Amino acid sequence: MPLPRPLRRLALAATAAVATAALLAGCSGGGTGSGESVNSEPVTGGTLTYLEPQTWTTLYPPAAGFYPNGGIVNNITDRLLYQDPETLELQPWIATALPEVNEDATQYTFTIREGVTYSDGTPLDAANVVANFDLFGKGDSSRKLTQSEVINNYDHGEVVDPTTVRFFFTAPSPGFAQAVSTINSGLVSNSTLAKTAETFGPGNATTVIGSGPFVIGAEEVGTKVTLKARDDYAWAPPSREHQGRPYLDGIDLIVAAEDSVRVGTVVAGQADAARQIEAPDEAQFAAPGLALVAAPTNGVNNGLSFRFRNPLLNDIRVRQAIIAGIDRQDIVDTLFTANYPLATGALAKTALGYTDTSSFYAYDPDKAASLLDEAGWVPGSDGIRVKDGQRLAIAFNEALPQPRSAEVVTIIQEQLAKLGIEVSLVPGDMAAQTAASLDENVVQVYHSMVGRADFDVLKSQYFSKNRNTLLNLHPADGSVGDPELDTLLAAIASTPTVEGRTAASAAAQQYLAEQAYILPIFEEPQVFGLRGDVKGFHTESVGRPSFAEVWLDR
Amino acid sequence: MIYVLRRLGQAVLVLLLAYTVAYVLLAALPGDAVVARFASPELGLSPDQLAAIREAYGFDRPLWQRYLESVFAFIRGDFGYSVQSGAAVSTLLATALPSSLVLAAWGLGVSILLAIGIAVAATFGPRFIRRGFQSLPPLFVSIPVFFVGIVLIQVFSFRLGLIPVINASPVQALILPVATLAIPLSAPLAQVLIRSIDEVRAQPFIAVVRARGASTSWLLWRNVARNAVLPALTMAGLIFGELVGGAVVTESVFGRAGVGQLTAQAVAARDAPVLLAVVVFSALAFVVINLLVDLAYPVLDPRLRGARR
Repeated sequence: MPLPRPLRRLALAATAAVATAALLAGCSGGGTGSGESVNSEPVTGGTLTYLEPQTWTTLYPPAAGFYPNGGIVNNITDRLLYQDPETLELQPWIATALPEVNEDATQYTFTIREGVTYSDGTPLDAANVVANFDLFGKGDSSRKLTQSEVINNYDHGEVVDPTTVRFFFTAPSPGFAQAVSTINSGLVSNSTLAKTAETFGPGNATTVIGSGPFVIGAEEVGTKVTLKARDDYAWAPPSREHQGRPYLDGIDLIVAAEDSVRVGTVVAGQADAARQIEAPDEAQFAAPGLALVAAPTNGVNNGLSFRFRNPLLNDIRVRQAIIAGIDRQDIVDTLFTANYPLATGALAKTALGYTDTSSFYAYDPDKAASLLDEAGWVPGSDGIRVKDGQRLAIAFNEALPQPRSAEVVTIIQEQLAKLGIEVSLVPGDMAAQTAASLDENVVQVYHSMVGRADFDVLKSQYFSKNRNTLLNLHPADGSVGDPELDTLLAAIASTPTVEGRTAASAAAQQYLAEQAYILPIFEEPQVFGLRGDVKGFHTESVGRPSFAEVWLDR
Repeated sequence: MIYVLRRLGQAVLVLLLAYTVAYVLLAALPGDAVVARFASPELGLSPDQLAAIREAYGFDRPLWQRYLESVFAFIRGDFGYSVQSGAAVSTLLATALPSSLVLAAWGLGVSILLAIGIAVAATFGPRFIRRGFQSLPPLFVSIPVFFVGIVLIQVFSFRLGLIPVINASPVQALILPVATLAIPLSAPLAQVLIRSIDEVRAQPFIAVVRARGASTSWLLWRNVARNAVLPALTMAGLIFGELVGGAVVTESVFGRAGVGQLTAQAVAARDAPVLLAVVVFSALAFVVINLLVDLAYPVLDPRLRGARR
């Protein structure tokens, strides 16, 4: 969106208050739960008005990673397993127990809870569960329905008996148990499974049928989705305190693209909650009667991937110099708040498999300068370092979905200019950014993050055949630059035991740090602004709102 | 009659050209909608899977072939599907158009009233009022639309609590957006009106009418207004462009589901089918408005009647 930036500044000036860490520490949830219910018992009834910055694009669960989509899918669908957003532990939900897994994690057997129905009255039975995963695991490109990113090596599913299903994989798939707990594996009715990419889109919301605590009651394309509580809902995850129908009667999800409008309406009491409160606006929620929830996203931190196969970054000393030349603390202090903790490794501290590699990311400009000297890059006539007639000029992409990406790169630009490194920012919209990011000659340093609460997230981000953010796999010739990295990452997704996966993940993180392939900047939260009387608000493991336990204390 | 037919022929040509230029420009940009939607890291698809999707959308065929197909589909009234959301473009437009038309009609109407009010006050009011009103158009034209919108929301909704922005009734939901749109829109209209009123008032026939005892209001409505409105009418075609631009911003700020917001979202997502439909509809509206303006001239000014027919 082109508007927000000047407006955000305006809002900043209007508040005339700069967010200080101390001020915010008092009001930020820090975890996933919101306000502490003070005295009263939860009340049933009322409608929550919830503001989204963007309109949703599809309700096909595997493509629901985009937050506006996920916010809806998370509340209208149930999953086989439930992942506790705080401990990230997997617990039963539609499956009555954790799955039986064979030794090499190529077969998963689930027992399905009986009596669960979709909101159109059809049963959620074994055949339906198999049909869900046969579509999600493989996709259907004739209907433009994509395969789910979280499901690896899927072969097929089988109905063993009316309450038992078994899934078969072509290779070990240890991430599958967590995969079935994500919103990307939200179970939908048979009629919904027959839809195409088009009929999963806007204009068809009310025909997307799940078994979740809420049902889509009405839709106004581009502006509003109304969720209604399902009165006969009786299959919340057994580990949750609240069972039965949601407290709220309904939710109005309204699109308000403008940051200052989202903040202002909640502050003025016209709406109850809003997603994506930008760091400069956080201070406004310090006022009494308001609350802020910063939900962790439990995945790969917001950070930089160095395309090490590019001649400019081929020398490890150059990469190390860039890392030592970037003052991450300065970036976080200048642009963000206490809700954006400085990264201490590739993964967030709360992510599965996290190891501390912060010693590799210390700010040391003197060391950076001597590394560059050593590597043969000497200052040229305009102050930018030169080697063999080539200038040390590197381009960054703008991570449009991430908070304040352009500002982050601007600060890095200033910091690295002092070392004689020229930094530029590739302009353009989402399509242009994506296209540029696939070419190491256009973007040498890639800014991104990914949230997913499983060991697999590390592989998702860096593996050559997944997101390939390091461009380890050359898009043109298909060659892999560092096979060792791929081996380490592949081990995370193919080792069947938790201990084995933890060790594999740690090894890969250590390797990424030692090779100076990445520079993690901060742990990216999802920040929600709430009225103080909105109680019981929490998010799933990657920061999408869960409304089933929300109640209004008024 | 021949004149009208010739104008219609021109209109079709303009539409085809607008479509073609938009098509070529969108194709020339790096990346396309499939890249925007499916190659984005959100989905983590492999290159092979992307190729399959590209094939499903028919993006693997040569550009000219896709262009011709889309032109013929357009003529049949098939606008295709949004790549971003998969929704039918016709559904999206059908939902967005009524809201935008209401906003545009009210915005235009209010801006005309505002412009007339400013022009009259700036011409016939007491000296200090004249001064003040004469400086309004330059002020209005220089304030960005989004700033007007934000200030109006902050003051009337958040501070004074007079009009809710969220969950407003249809009438409430129109007041602030219409004001936001009308203020900058009224500026050029008022400026032109003030100038042409001044010019008409300096003409000899006004002195004659006045000498025969006509009152100021008689002069204004019977003689000055009729002559002064012609240049302002010419502006109407131009104003439509501002209306579209203003609507994009206004609808985004106020979260109204209209063509403007649809356009803003489609631009961000490089949603070519939606953008092409918006371009063609805008061009169509532009052509129709200019045609109507041209046809209205002879009605208002008898001097133009003979020459045209």
